[in-house]
Amino acid sequence: MNGAGTSTDTRTERLLEIKDLTVGFPTRDGIVRGVDSLNLNVGSHERLGVVGESGSGKTVMGLAILGMVLPPGRIMGGTVLWRGENVLDEAVANRVRGREIAMIFQDPMVSLNPLKTVGAQLRELLKRRAGLDGADIRRRSLELLDMVGIANPHDRLKSYAFELSGGMRQRVMIATALACEPTLLIADEPTTGLDVTIQDQILTLLHDLSTDLGVSVLMITHDLGVVAQFCDRVQVMYAGRIVERAPITDLFADPQHPYSSGLLQSVPRVDRAEIELAGIPGEPLDRANFPAGCAFEPRCAEAHDACRQAPPPLAKIAERRWVACYNRPGGSQT
Amino acid sequence: MARTKGSALLRWLARRIIAAALVVFVVTSLVFVVTHVFTDPATVSLPLEATEEHRAQRRAALGIDRPLSVQYWDFVSGLVVGDLGESFWQDQPASKLVLERLPATLKLVAGATLVTVLLAAPLGMLAAWWERRFADHAVLGFSMVSISAPPFWIGYLLIIVFAVQLGWVPTFGSSGFVSLILPSFAIGLASAGRLAQMTRRGIVEELRKPYAVTALSRGFSRSYTIVNHTFRNVASGFVTMTGWELTRMFTGYTVVIEVVFAWPGVGRLAIHAIENRDLVLVQAAVVVLATLVVVTNLLVDIARRMIDPRVELG
Repeated sequence: MNGAGTSTDTRTERLLEIKDLTVGFPTRDGIVRGVDSLNLNVGSHERLGVVGESGSGKTVMGLAILGMVLPPGRIMGGTVLWRGENVLDEAVANRVRGREIAMIFQDPMVSLNPLKTVGAQLRELLKRRAGLDGADIRRRSLELLDMVGIANPHDRLKSYAFELSGGMRQRVMIATALACEPTLLIADEPTTGLDVTIQDQILTLLHDLSTDLGVSVLMITHDLGVVAQFCDRVQVMYAGRIVERAPITDLFADPQHPYSSGLLQSVPRVDRAEIELAGIPGEPLDRANFPAGCAFEPRCAEAHDACRQAPPPLAKIAERRWVACYNRPGGSQT
Repeated sequence: MARTKGSALLRWLARRIIAAALVVFVVTSLVFVVTHVFTDPATVSLPLEATEEHRAQRRAALGIDRPLSVQYWDFVSGLVVGDLGESFWQDQPASKLVLERLPATLKLVAGATLVTVLLAAPLGMLAAWWERRFADHAVLGFSMVSISAPPFWIGYLLIIVFAVQLGWVPTFGSSGFVSLILPSFAIGLASAGRLAQMTRRGIVEELRKPYAVTALSRGFSRSYTIVNHTFRNVASGFVTMTGWELTRMFTGYTVVIEVVFAWPGVGRLAIHAIENRDLVLVQAAVVVLATLVVVTNLLVDIARRMIDPRVELG
């Protein structure tokens, strides 16, 4: 299978390499695959977007990169290599988790411990995970809060999460994620649930931090606007699989997968005259009744017999462009 | 800002204390009604063959031939200065008799609470850590047995095994720390069983919450996350439940267990007072135990406020 190939620029070091990752969740109707034979690479100094609708397996993937699966889920196959070491090995995961790879989550309202002050949450990280002590902890705490644009960091150390606004909480989350100077930041819907102006501030902050600190970011989102503003490269995910992989400008100019086109047509754009937004026909996939063929086939206008036989592999169709669709030139090669 | 916060806290505390005092007053008034309106202390404290003349003399001696309102005023004004009347069984101030026995009961409840907390917290965390594994089932088994078995039966069992068979501790009485061990366990085991299950359930629930997932994703171990993140969030419920268990201890368990272990506490005094038809002494014991329950609830409220800064100062 050639889907495991990479489009990462050769100048950059390959950090993360996910190969054929499958995560299953046992349900009454059998095992549901939250992530299905997923392949993905992240290089150093890269901002990669993973876009897909809710339930497409994005969060499951993000946690799996840290070697975490929420019960009752379980990793059924594949590897997650971080600089060549398998994170699915608990010993490797314990070392990497929070130190080299850190994740920020969707809902900053509930992702901070409600009963610990900001200072206490930074302190335990800096002490137990970054190995600092004494005055260094305080100095670094203030530095981190300052770094994420929090005014009066001295006072904020004593604050509880419930005393902060949503935007402030997400800034604190980012500060805790950066505490151990990670190389990769996984941002799982970091702006969902925030006001539009705050969303913009948080994205700008993440963008600046990734540039200044040289941190790669894996941006997990359902929002193509976020991807457009933030990422260099994007992978479109549907039903636990990657269906298209492209540089950001190419995807917006010329989406190849029917699902990508559908996503783009459902985004309002100020630079185009159309007023009507097209949705994607059909329902998001019922994950328990997984089709034998392409997962998007039931909703696809271009579907034909071949699509119902086996899922199309992710195939290279041009330089740095990959698509998993039988209807695209090169996409039908198996 | 800090200053207004502090004074709000003081106002809250003052309100709580006044409310607690009111509850004590209402409860003691109810006790007065029960002992003076629904029973006749003179009749119950005299032998069956006593004549009406004897009873009248007795009523006069006890001062219960006076109008109820006068008696109630006497009772309340006595209460304020700590006078709970004269015990007619022992011919001594009832408050003195009860307060003499109070330290023994407090020691017993303290011991039982220690057993409860020191068993429940670790067992609950252990069960949550090993969710659906052997240790979890074992803790559940312990809880079921300890909750189902009546404390007096646990008490006798402990005496038979540890005092009679093994001879490690005395069978009864209060001679120092060692004699405190068995009755503390007899009372504390059931409470520990209930609290362990509550702790386990709470932690398992908390572990699924985003803040716990975040802590795990930062590389904190499962055990560190349980002890330092999730337990803190169930601690408020834990303290509240411990308060309820203390209430049960003061009003029920200690009475039974003090009798089983011949423990010289307020509970056994109350039983003896009932046996001797000494209603004044019963009344005094109930007033003191009720006060302890109210004070416990007050302390629980303060503790919850200290654990969770979000608790409203309403």
